[in-house]
Amino acid sequence: MEAVSGRKAVLEIRGLTRRFGGLTAVDHFDVDVNEGEIVSLVGPNGAGKTTVFNLISGVLRPTTGSVRLLGRELVRLPAHRITHQGVARTFQNIRVFPQLTVRENILLGTHHWTRSGMLGSVTFWPGTVRAERAAQAEVHTAIELFRERLEARLEDPAFSLSYANRRRTEIARALAARPKLLLLDEPAAGMNPYERIEMAGLIRSMRDRGLTIFLIEHHMPLVMEISDRVVVMDHGVKIAEGLPKEVHSNPRVVEAYLGRRAASA
Amino acid sequence: MSAQPAKAVVAEPTDSLRQLWHSGPAGWNRALTRARVLLPFFLAALAVPLVLQYVEDNSSWIGAQYWTLILATCAMYACLAVALNLVVGYAGLLNLGFIAFFGIGSYAYALVASDQIHQHYPLWAAVLVVSIVTLAFALLVGVPALRLRGDYLAIVTLAFGLIMRDVVLELDRPPVLAGHQFGPDGLNITGGTNGIHQVQPFNLPTSLPLLGPVPHYRMYYWIFVGFLALCIYLMLRWRSTRTGRAWVAIRDDELAARAMGVNTFKYRLLAFATSAVMAGIVGMINAAQIFNAFPSPNFDVQTTVMVFIMVILGGLGSIPGAILGAIAFTVPPFLLQQFVFYKYLVISIVLIAVMVFRPEGLLGTVSIRPRKTMGGTVELLTAESTIEASELPAVTDTEAADLEAVSGAIVEDPEWKL
Repeated sequence: MEAVSGRKAVLEIRGLTRRFGGLTAVDHFDVDVNEGEIVSLVGPNGAGKTTVFNLISGVLRPTTGSVRLLGRELVRLPAHRITHQGVARTFQNIRVFPQLTVRENILLGTHHWTRSGMLGSVTFWPGTVRAERAAQAEVHTAIELFRERLEARLEDPAFSLSYANRRRTEIARALAARPKLLLLDEPAAGMNPYERIEMAGLIRSMRDRGLTIFLIEHHMPLVMEISDRVVVMDHGVKIAEGLPKEVHSNPRVVEAYLGRRAASA
Repeated sequence: MSAQPAKAVVAEPTDSLRQLWHSGPAGWNRALTRARVLLPFFLAALAVPLVLQYVEDNSSWIGAQYWTLILATCAMYACLAVALNLVVGYAGLLNLGFIAFFGIGSYAYALVASDQIHQHYPLWAAVLVVSIVTLAFALLVGVPALRLRGDYLAIVTLAFGLIMRDVVLELDRPPVLAGHQFGPDGLNITGGTNGIHQVQPFNLPTSLPLLGPVPHYRMYYWIFVGFLALCIYLMLRWRSTRTGRAWVAIRDDELAARAMGVNTFKYRLLAFATSAVMAGIVGMINAAQIFNAFPSPNFDVQTTVMVFIMVILGGLGSIPGAILGAIAFTVPPFLLQQFVFYKYLVISIVLIAVMVFRPEGLLGTVSIRPRKTMGGTVELLTAESTIEASELPAVTDTEAADLEAVSGAIVEDPEWKL
């Protein structure tokens, strides 16, 4: 798809394919995510959405295809190099580090852009001290959006957090990585309606700060409300793409979700 | 510096020690690893032999030397437990060949400080040699083995430890490979089962200002305590900065750590090698202290097990716990010598009791529990993450389960690049 308003494409995916044995989880998937856009990836269970995220972030390697971030090829880079290029992600089944405190979890986000080694750490080398201070300052910035939720919990181990606060910690950790592209895998899963509304506002304010967001979400009202564009997947194939209201009434999408009879009715 | 807006976040939590004490093992660890606790502890530890000497001089009790030697052994095991804690407690790598690095360190020092191959290096050069040799062995086994995890890594490192023991036992004669003999007939590197004798101690002053003459046993007690303090300082600094955070993150969730940009292989190797070098230096001090390098117990699996027990009893990842474990397993056997026959029975019972009632160890926050993953891998795992998994809402996407399986396989993928 062409960029809608001539904005720069942050993420360009072309012909992305991943097979697991005989199963093609993702089949020639193409998508563009433009700068400052919120693009949602939706689809029924097992459509291959999380696999797309895993292919972008380097957890999995594509069988074929290309993933470009600001024109730079990400395929074949190891996962930690991809983070370095500017992709940060959250996980569907929340992966905070349970034994680390909330602060340390968020500091992990700064890992790839701070330079602080073992020798510098024990000698209080000025460069290392500066790097650690910059990282600590970034924690302050990263939790700005969650201030009243997380600030009081900063020194608590992550395993002691509520489900929603773990999500927030995970997002703050991703923000601390200063990404150019943020991948959110079901950010509102398991949240109550109130928290979901809060999450919608949060995602929008992250976009307003200039972040480009690609998200997977199951909760359709949330998707319809916050997305600039929606991409629908089924059985590993992209079946529709467009503005939320266009996609909403697309017969193929209805069919994928509710079956053929519902679509023709 | 204080004008920085970040200062509010950077500031240490202002809880008093008392409050920390009530906050469970994590709080105890934080409380016990503060400078205001550790500094007095180490000053007291340094003063102990002087106090013993004073008591001996002013009473009919004799045993200052005996007890200083016991405490030196205790400090040595504490050093080993702290070093093992780095690799097992922080980075979550089951290194069952750990003690081999202690042995390698002692032999490396013995070789450059005895008549075995007629080398007598000065202390600084010996330290350098020992560090380089243990580092080289750590890389030799670490680079290929650290691509494995859980019990596979444990098996490879265990094999490494056993092989090193055999190598040391066999190297009292020139090695023969495929009918070809390497070296002259009289070649004897390690002394076989006898070990290397008449290793020279460190060339240190035998008397200190204010303290007067310092006997050998007291000097080595101080050296061990000093090295223990150094190791603890290093561990605490690393834990509070980027490197240590990355280690614990890898232990907690390797996939997430990688997704946050941590080069997991590099950090695992760093932990493995650092811990090995620490153990090597301890081995070197030990060889200088006892004037010998022996194949046993320096390469014995039992010694690895002993140090593991200390770490597990004290609590994985806990430095005060490691010291506690070392004290608990070195001092009582000397106090209760008439019951030494029952030593291993008592140790077993204590350990089983601890594992039943406090699987995290006395001061630990992480428990060793077998977790079934792909291929039945048993991994070190945090107690909480098991709870977490069951407490999560039902997985809404079947592909998540598949992905878990696949990413497990990918982690083992040998073509994975650094």
